[in-house]
Amino acid sequence: MRKGIFKTGLLVLALVAALTPVYWMITISLKIERDQFAYPPKWFSFTPTIQHYYEAFVTRSFGQYLLTSAIVAVVSTACALVIGTLAAYALTRFQLPYNLDRKLSLWILSTRMFPAIVTAVPLFLMMRDLRLLNTRASLIVVYTAFNLPFVVWMMRGFFAEVPRDLEEAALVDGDSRLGALVRVVLPLVAPGLAATAVFCLIVSWNEFLFALVLTQTDAAMTLPVGIAGRVTQYEIKWGVMSAAGAVAMIPILVFALAMQRYLVRGLSLGAVKG
Amino acid sequence: MSIRFLNVSKTFGESKVVDDLSLEIADGEFVVLLGPSGCGKTTTLRMLAGLETITSGDIYIGDQRINDVPTQRRDLAMVFQSYALYPHMSIAENIAYPLRVRKLGRDERQNRVARVAKSLEIESLLDRKPRQLSGGERQRVALARAIVREPRAYLMDEPLSNLDARLRVQMRGELKRLQHQLGTTTIYVTHDQAEAMTLASRVAVMKKGRLQQFDTPLNIYNHPANRFVAEFVGSPSMNFIDGQIERGVFVSEEIKLPVMRGDGSVSLGIRPEHVHVFTQPQDGAIPARVYVTELMGNETFVFLTIGTHRLIARAPADFRAEVESTVWLRLETDKAHFFEKAKSTDYAE
Repeated sequence: MRKGIFKTGLLVLALVAALTPVYWMITISLKIERDQFAYPPKWFSFTPTIQHYYEAFVTRSFGQYLLTSAIVAVVSTACALVIGTLAAYALTRFQLPYNLDRKLSLWILSTRMFPAIVTAVPLFLMMRDLRLLNTRASLIVVYTAFNLPFVVWMMRGFFAEVPRDLEEAALVDGDSRLGALVRVVLPLVAPGLAATAVFCLIVSWNEFLFALVLTQTDAAMTLPVGIAGRVTQYEIKWGVMSAAGAVAMIPILVFALAMQRYLVRGLSLGAVKG
Repeated sequence: MSIRFLNVSKTFGESKVVDDLSLEIADGEFVVLLGPSGCGKTTTLRMLAGLETITSGDIYIGDQRINDVPTQRRDLAMVFQSYALYPHMSIAENIAYPLRVRKLGRDERQNRVARVAKSLEIESLLDRKPRQLSGGERQRVALARAIVREPRAYLMDEPLSNLDARLRVQMRGELKRLQHQLGTTTIYVTHDQAEAMTLASRVAVMKKGRLQQFDTPLNIYNHPANRFVAEFVGSPSMNFIDGQIERGVFVSEEIKLPVMRGDGSVSLGIRPEHVHVFTQPQDGAIPARVYVTELMGNETFVFLTIGTHRLIARAPADFRAEVESTVWLRLETDKAHFFEKAKSTDYAE
């Protein structure tokens, strides 16, 4: 019995530690400025206001940032999934000469082994020469490239779990390679695909460094950069930042909840047979 | 459709898995590829299906050379050892898959699935998923998926090996009937000689990638081409006694048998049913000791020793003998086979 209390206590503690900042952010986004800095802090009793939300999304261009973030995250995730899944399939199913299938996989992984900042300057120069600075396309390209190794390695594991017999049966039954992939293999790795998609989406949605380096205009800026931009030399717009932050949470939260069923299955796929 | 293998070889890296295989299979035949694991029988089937490339030689279906025809255009149907049912599809969808790929209309698909399901008595399973089915039921579904269209040939890769013994015998009979009804060329891979004997119109025995003998089950049993075939086919296995023939008498330790053969060093092979055991001394019979007896119900296997030789005899069910007691054997030498030692482990015509 005491063990149960101890366990529950720990869980509550962890939950409070994890959720307090989120709660604090949401309350700040709803407080008028005087209440934000009140001491002792006003945890519960304050008069809510939506003025910060109004300022963020109507007066200022956070709506624009939100749209950019959504487009960049969704398109780059889709691109990474399509390219990465096909690559992973080829790497698991076809034997390349000179052991290239194994070497290529490691090579792909190695691109994730150096810190992101190392590539920031070269990428900036490349995008400048391609005249892609301050465009959504530049971020889509960079995020796709950034997520690819992860997709390839995740999907490689999932594909390896699918018995070859199934594809061979599909081929003998008269289907093409691609048809067998789409109709037989992909439905079987769907949980893995969902888990991978959630991860890519979160990474792209939260990404800050490349977005900061590659975009400076309102038209191409993503939410994280937009929010950080409210920290200026003269003032810090806590209310606006919190309002934007609270809204930024929602899409990922909804998506992850929707995918939760697959997420657990996907991440543990292959851990237990069957 | 007739199927021809012409000098077909397959190498994986250094090792030769199929070595210069030539087979002519007539339209409507039921051919069993028989051999121990690693003899290349499955690889042969997979080359025919297009799941393995052909290193050298040609394979023809009818008059069409299919070496470079991709799997999906060979128009064959295959039953896998694992059944390879699509786990995310219902049984009906599984069976309809080859039709769906061929873009048949929904009504036509449903009609054909219903007809096949009826003939294999799996109508009640159509809405279920493969994982809810027993081994025998999955086997039927795999068969249904193969026969739902009319392919040029059926390929079966040890389709019964995952079933329990009773079900295997039952499905074996059903398979034979089915093939008889459909009259479609069937190539069946197994390591089970009983399946080969019961199902095949002709059996191709393989060993280490080489064809040993290609003949009717009866001929394989009664006239094995070499010692390997003689030993592999038949249960319990054929007895072998190594010895010499000197002036018309086969000699090996205390065994002496008159035979109509030329002199030389040979291996005498004799099936257990051609070894007769007597508990009383007989004229010209060879004394032997009983090692152990196994009562099978309808007959008794008697394991015997003569000096260093070991033999098995088939005796009637009521045969009784104590372990280590002495019995007398009469070998039907006119039913015996002689294998020259040099050739005994190798390919023989």
